[in-house]
Amino acid sequence: MFAWILLAALGLVLIWLVLVYNGLVSIRNDVQNAWKQIDVQLKRRHDLIPNLVSTVKGVMEFEQDTLEKVISARAMAVSAGTPASKAESENMLTQALGKLFAVMENYPALKSNQNVMQLQEELTSTENRISFARQLYNDLVANYRTKLQVFPNNVVSSFFNFQTEEYFGAEEADRAVPGVNLSMRGK
Amino acid sequence: MPLTFIDIERQKNWRIWVFFLALMLLYVIVCLAFAVPFLPHAAIFSKTFGIGRFLASVFLISFMIAGIHFFFAGYNAVSSVVTSLDAQPPDPSDDVHKTLLNIMQEIHVVTGSRRKIQCVVIPTLSLNALAAADLKGEAVIGITEGLLSRLKRPQLEAVIAHETNHIRSGDCLETTLAASLFGSLASLMDRYTDTAEGRHIVHPFLWPAWVLLKLSLLLNMFISREREYRADAGAVRMTRNPVALAETLHLLSRSWRGAGFIGSNYEMMCIVNPQATALDEAEGFWADLFSTHPPIAKRIDLLLSMAHVNISELDTKATSREENDHQPGQPAYYAMSPRQQWQGPFTLTELEKLPWLSPLTWITNGKQQPVDRAWKEPLINAIFTARLTCDQDALSDTTCPACNQPLVREAYEGTQVNVCHFCAGTLVENDKIPRILARTNRERSCTERINALARAVMKRNQLKNAQQKLSDLREQHPVPSLSCPKCKNPMFRTFFSAAYEIEIDRCSFCGITWFDQDELEMLQCLIENRIVPDSTEPGHVRLANS
Repeated sequence: MFAWILLAALGLVLIWLVLVYNGLVSIRNDVQNAWKQIDVQLKRRHDLIPNLVSTVKGVMEFEQDTLEKVISARAMAVSAGTPASKAESENMLTQALGKLFAVMENYPALKSNQNVMQLQEELTSTENRISFARQLYNDLVANYRTKLQVFPNNVVSSFFNFQTEEYFGAEEADRAVPGVNLSMRGK
Repeated sequence: MPLTFIDIERQKNWRIWVFFLALMLLYVIVCLAFAVPFLPHAAIFSKTFGIGRFLASVFLISFMIAGIHFFFAGYNAVSSVVTSLDAQPPDPSDDVHKTLLNIMQEIHVVTGSRRKIQCVVIPTLSLNALAAADLKGEAVIGITEGLLSRLKRPQLEAVIAHETNHIRSGDCLETTLAASLFGSLASLMDRYTDTAEGRHIVHPFLWPAWVLLKLSLLLNMFISREREYRADAGAVRMTRNPVALAETLHLLSRSWRGAGFIGSNYEMMCIVNPQATALDEAEGFWADLFSTHPPIAKRIDLLLSMAHVNISELDTKATSREENDHQPGQPAYYAMSPRQQWQGPFTLTELEKLPWLSPLTWITNGKQQPVDRAWKEPLINAIFTARLTCDQDALSDTTCPACNQPLVREAYEGTQVNVCHFCAGTLVENDKIPRILARTNRERSCTERINALARAVMKRNQLKNAQQKLSDLREQHPVPSLSCPKCKNPMFRTFFSAAYEIEIDRCSFCGITWFDQDELEMLQCLIENRIVPDSTEPGHVRLANS
């Protein structure tokens, strides 16, 4: 009799283990998928920038410095690897782009250029997508971390060696000076 | 509120089952009503059949009918909404529609692309947006062409985010089901209600339906006002731009929201109720119970208080940065740029140099002061007073009802009118209007732009007028009205006349009329070119002399 009860209890524990483990795996995959999404959007941004630069180069010949900064920031962002370094270099790129857009405001020829307007709309959209993808990613990471750390899940997670994921940092500068982000948005 | 879209997807909604039960109950009652006359006959074979079996079969039959009804109403609800509104998917080659498509893509990033949300454009000049979802798992966001053309990008983002939040929180499915189960009756009633003699007589055939409709008002109790607040909050969480949404709501509240075009069965799906009813703008127990939409003013207040929080975050970030050369103690202001983005912090002198600063710009100093229009802050108002360079004698004793700045007396068509130098509106004493209209054509002829504008506005207003006549006239139009610059009572927003449907604000106590920018010119243009409404076909404008 006692043996049967023990066996039943063991079976229940096993089922619980499987459930927790599978739950953690599925949420980890969600997080990784969200990270891929950010990557996709960042790639889109990196692809759009050379187009923009080559379109505005002719008109903005006095702003070579600003354009150089955008190009070098893009190059750095493309080569970045870990979430932390990626976040940092992307923030630099955001700032450089913001500067470029602010300067572009001074060129009426650019503002009336259909091509530039469309590129700007595309970039604005991409900026939004990046920030939304980051929102989703961070939400999921927060969720994942909670699931890992609550008792008794933490026993299972440490046993199977689940790693926590890093947050994708929000742009400090972008939040401090609204001016940077502002010029990017809007039509 | 659950954390992510994925969490919400996993939730089940118990209210949908309440709808199903309500529907089943309805059919049980109908079945019983049909079966009761036959009961005496049934009693003959009651020994073999039995009352219990009789009731059971009634329940079974009504369960089946309710199931079929529920399935047909709920399964394809999205496509039926789309077809009945004659909505079209956006055209990618059109720049404005392209922006909409881009925003939808952005939204799909937030939702993790777990669920495709369609997007359609509703071909009407009215301003409104709605969301629908069905049991098939399809979801759609509809936005009117009028709203699409009037909104700036951040505002459009805010509207789409609001509707997306309805869809992802699941309350959109509820409202769509409620609308397609019970609301189709409402639109049927709209069509067959006899308004020809100005009375409301329901066709006798529809009396049972009418009773049902009145009962379905009870459903509004389930469609709580809370969900609009929640969707607003969710939209802010997504776009981080509460003021853009507040501005949009303000715009919607002042405009035609599509009453008549968007049937009353869809009203609970819209961002603002197409029918501006007094109940919606009221507060209290009964209003909370029976109204589907909360007061717009309250929504705007809530959004602005969120902006306040947002700003204080910005503020702490800004002061922590060393390169910021702000002297402490000097007031720092944030201003909403014409692109719907906060800029700042500015000192007063910096603020003064901003070319786009107007009395209606949203301003806050980020700390204790809530977000408000620039003219309400005395220090900033001084800037406008300084900007107003004109003869002291020309200053009139009245102020602009919109910007609250002193009006300037100017000659217009040979007579004296009061003009606001900031918003370009005009205040005219009623006895001077005929003079101006009579002298039309003498000094200035109407430009191409005013002409086109006048026609478009006329056409829109004519539709609006026609719809208003059809709907209940007794209901007042509770748009937030401007207050009269003389007696401070609210002015009456109305058409200039039945023939010239240009909207104006009028105070009948003081005998004055306020024309917003271009409204007076449009009126003159209409008269000069003899553009009159075509009475045979509403919404059609024709030239009288051609």
